[in-house]
Amino acid sequence: MINRLPWWMGGILLSGLLLLTFSVYGADRPLGASTYVPYMAGLIFDLDPEKYSYLKSIKFAGAWEGVLLIGAFVGGFITSVFITKSFRFSIIPTGWKKYKNNSVLSRLIWSFISGFMMIIGARLAGGCTSGHFMSGMSQLAISSMIFGTVVMLALVVTGRLFYNAKETES
Amino acid sequence: MNILESMFDTVISEPHGSLALIFLIGVVFGGIIQYTRVDKFEKIAGFAMLKDTIVPKMLFLTVGITSIGLYFMVEAGWANWHIKPVMLMGLIVGGILFGASMAIFGKCPGTGPVSVAEGRIDVLVGAIGGLFGGLVFTLYFDDFFKPLMGSNMGKITLPELFAGHEQLVVLIFGITVTLISILIPKREFFDEADLSQLPDEARPDRK
Repeated sequence: MINRLPWWMGGILLSGLLLLTFSVYGADRPLGASTYVPYMAGLIFDLDPEKYSYLKSIKFAGAWEGVLLIGAFVGGFITSVFITKSFRFSIIPTGWKKYKNNSVLSRLIWSFISGFMMIIGARLAGGCTSGHFMSGMSQLAISSMIFGTVVMLALVVTGRLFYNAKETES
Repeated sequence: MNILESMFDTVISEPHGSLALIFLIGVVFGGIIQYTRVDKFEKIAGFAMLKDTIVPKMLFLTVGITSIGLYFMVEAGWANWHIKPVMLMGLIVGGILFGASMAIFGKCPGTGPVSVAEGRIDVLVGAIGGLFGGLVFTLYFDDFFKPLMGSNMGKITLPELFAGHEQLVVLIFGITVTLISILIPKREFFDEADLSQLPDEARPDRK
């Protein structure tokens, strides 16, 4: 068994999955993966959906994606244990150690902050890598093209400023 | 368990696929992401540092193929459009926050749970941060975030801007994006911690 799929195989398989999700024989909706977070937050912090207009508006999309992401969790667990054999508990990614630092505290604080900002950003824009970039751009939506362009720029600029990637160039 | 029950009931009450189908789509989604290794910090933050290009190659290829396939599926009546509206400030401010976070976190909301499933504790902490982000967004939506997003400029698509040539626009877009995915030079940033698990001849960095 090969330990990973090539990128083109991943792209072809993801297209098939997206088309199935879009099709009326599948789910008749786009595949998204960020609405479930405020939905889960609403359930966990026990907010009354009648009191918060945002929760009311995402009730269905949030639940749908919640089920999807439980599935993704299971799928990722299965392949990581049985195929790629990469399951292990770890706190600091190798790349972080190489280009940022060796501090557990630093990685955890930055993870928390970036996780927090990421969801605010995704909900402001109305989508994420899945909902906007993949599902939205596949529909040639102008909104998703604007989002995709801004994200790519912010990603690369932040990568340049945040990490010491140049000094350790091999 | 109450949380799951109310989630499942909501999904069952709507005509967007059975609970089993949605779960299964999720399993395959997580499987593809994990098996191609695009959930890794080294792939996403690596792309931010321009040391790895697997993520953009795979994303662009997916969009290229899906855009052409979906257009003909809608024409045939097998699918519907679900376009997100243009809300300029929301897209720009949201995109900057999202892109910057993606570079630092090395994950996005879809790849995050897959990484947690692989045993990444830092990503679990980030996911808790995300839950608080979702909480803050919900609490201050009406007063702060909604006005910030700006006015709704409508659900515009590229083919609409070229009325009469919709098919051609879709084909050119799909083929161009697919070509971009092939033409982006392939660069890879491997994680030694994963490679050391493999026998020498199976290591992708030793070829």
